Amino acid sequence: MSSSSRKNRNAINAASLARWIVMTAFLALAGLSYVYLTLQLYHLGERKKAIENELASLRTQNDVTSVQIAALTSRSALQRRLKEGYLKMIPISENNIVRLTIPPHPERENAIRPVINQSGTR
Amino acid sequence: MNPNIRRRCALLCAAFVALFSVFSFRLIYLQVIKHDAYAELAAEKHGYRQIIYADRGTIFDANNDVLAHNVPVETVLADATRLNNSRAVVNLLSDELDIPADALAEKLNSERRYIVIKRELSESLAGALRDKLRANNLRGIYFEHDGSRIYPNGSMLCHVIGFTDFEHRGIQGVEASMDEYLRGQDGYRYVERDRTGQEIVPYRGQERAPRDGYEVHLTVDLALQNIVENEIDAAMKEYSPQKATIILMRPQTGEILAMANRPNFDLNLRSKAKPEAMKNRAITDMMEPGSTFKIVAAAAALNEHKFTPDSTVFCENGLWNFGGTELHDHRAFGYLSVRDILIKSSNIGAAKLALGVGEEKFYEYIRRFGFGERTGIELPGEINGVIRPPRLWSKISITRIPMGHEIGVTPLQMTVAMATIANGGKLITPRIVKSVTAADGRVISSLSPVVLRQVISAETARRIGDALRGVVSDRGTAAAAAVPGFTIAGKTGTAQKVARDGGYEKGKYVVSFVGYLPADHPEFVGLVVLDDAHTSKPELNYGGLVAGPIFSRVAEKAARYLDLEPHEEIRKAIPLQPAQKNIPAERGRPPRRAAPVERVALTNASHH
Repeated sequence: MSSSSRKNRNAINAASLARWIVMTAFLALAGLSYVYLTLQLYHLGERKKAIENELASLRTQNDVTSVQIAALTSRSALQRRLKEGYLKMIPISENNIVRLTIPPHPERENAIRPVINQSGTR
Repeated sequence: MNPNIRRRCALLCAAFVALFSVFSFRLIYLQVIKHDAYAELAAEKHGYRQIIYADRGTIFDANNDVLAHNVPVETVLADATRLNNSRAVVNLLSDELDIPADALAEKLNSERRYIVIKRELSESLAGALRDKLRANNLRGIYFEHDGSRIYPNGSMLCHVIGFTDFEHRGIQGVEASMDEYLRGQDGYRYVERDRTGQEIVPYRGQERAPRDGYEVHLTVDLALQNIVENEIDAAMKEYSPQKATIILMRPQTGEILAMANRPNFDLNLRSKAKPEAMKNRAITDMMEPGSTFKIVAAAAALNEHKFTPDSTVFCENGLWNFGGTELHDHRAFGYLSVRDILIKSSNIGAAKLALGVGEEKFYEYIRRFGFGERTGIELPGEINGVIRPPRLWSKISITRIPMGHEIGVTPLQMTVAMATIANGGKLITPRIVKSVTAADGRVISSLSPVVLRQVISAETARRIGDALRGVVSDRGTAAAAAVPGFTIAGKTGTAQKVARDGGYEKGKYVVSFVGYLPADHPEFVGLVVLDDAHTSKPELNYGGLVAGPIFSRVAEKAARYLDLEPHEEIRKAIPLQPAQKNIPAERGRPPRRAAPVERVALTNASHH
């Protein structure tokens, strides 16, 4: 009796069980990893987009600043400031200029000599 | 089992099989047969080809000062399929963007999917609008990064720089001629959006980065341009001419150092500018050059060895009847040397020089100097001018063309012709673009001087240059064009203004002066042209008296800026007594005398 009931009982195949457990665990892990990595992909995508936006914003700020610098240092702006008295310019007199260039050759004799026109200067 | 039950079970099974077969066939139809069509539809719904705009290249002057660049702006777009509350969107946008609600609603209800609502919205306004849309949970409105063209110097150099249209295409000036380089290439990116319209970054498709436009460097020096602009403004104030042009050019390289025209306009307010203010008259308008053209006749005569600088020509004592028509000089000249024909600006003398050369040969020299064809400068809209071939000349044309009548030339052509004299007879193509570079400094294109031809020999050019020095002397017609410390070679011109319907406008003149400095080793050639200047007395409306002093002021300041060393011996001069100056007449009128001209001259000014 006792021997027959032992015979009827299903024997647990430890090796097979372990194999199934490993396979299930592997599949579960793979599934979870897939979900995790997919989420990570979305998350990193969001971060990438945020960084891109930040970079674009910094570029924009840089461009706007460049425009402002160009506008403030333009000839027209400096001229306006000069007129308004914010800037002062003093012409350098000729005797304060030291030139290191070789002077041009003197005029030939018999050449027509030009006049100078003082009233020409404004 | 009861046969009835069995039959019923079989029928139920058959029904299930039939039902699921239908489902299966439907699935196969949708997933396999119609796969491409639905995939395309889905992609169209969620996918979007996003344009990544390339920045237009910056324009710089010769010293890397910015002349034109971009300010970031945004374009507001609507995706009609994604608007979740059209009425609220219309109300918000019409308030924020100052667009009439009706017009906006009509726009949004059009059949198009993507609708441009507003262009060139500033970054700050776009940011505020974006926040409000988000706060009200309104969808379907997108912002695209874009750039708007800004010109920091306003109206300065406006005709040269030009401008773009709203699609960033160059319309005028360097913006148009160098558009291919400046424009760059837009990029794109295929993106997918979720139901809220946000991009799903992992699903990004194919992407191509934009290539920003190249940077264009001009030959113009803003400091010199500033000098020219100030002087042309002063001239406009003083003489109220209809039009005015000043050009500075480096003769050895053909580089345009400055170019200004009046009337002008503010590049940042171009929509308000009048069309006539937008014309670059230095290249698009032609004029009768008047006596400045005598350099061509003299150059041809000397180069053909028909005359020497000291050859004398009888100038008919101021009145010559040729071909049944009278030709006048402003003074009664007897015998004049070729040199003095230029110095005194004798019409009869110049006519006889051209006659000596002959019609065909003279025409050949006119063309060799570059008249009658575009100079090739990198600016759009340049005209050829009008030089008729000898077969179309009248009997007296050979006597009128040498004094700059019966022809049409542009101010730039006249400058180039004088540069040819200054440059030892070599005709150089004028250039306004120095180089094209990438943003990282890589040189894409660097333009070198182009010598078109040797028009006259170096010796002839030197001889003409010597004669032209005399023009800016106490004996010449342009004493007022002199610059302290420098020798100047130049020529005045006064031509009666050509009427639109033919003939000449009475009492209206185009006065000009073209010259170079220093005469020995020219650093720049300058041209001043005033069309219909208003002087206090009509007899003062002459090239030497109006354009000459303007040239003098421009040249003096330019010489100082370029650090040209003045000659002390030229500086040491004594004032001449205010003299009754003979008015140089290039108008074919009897001689007159004008008001005294204040000037100083060297004590030992030679007379020959």
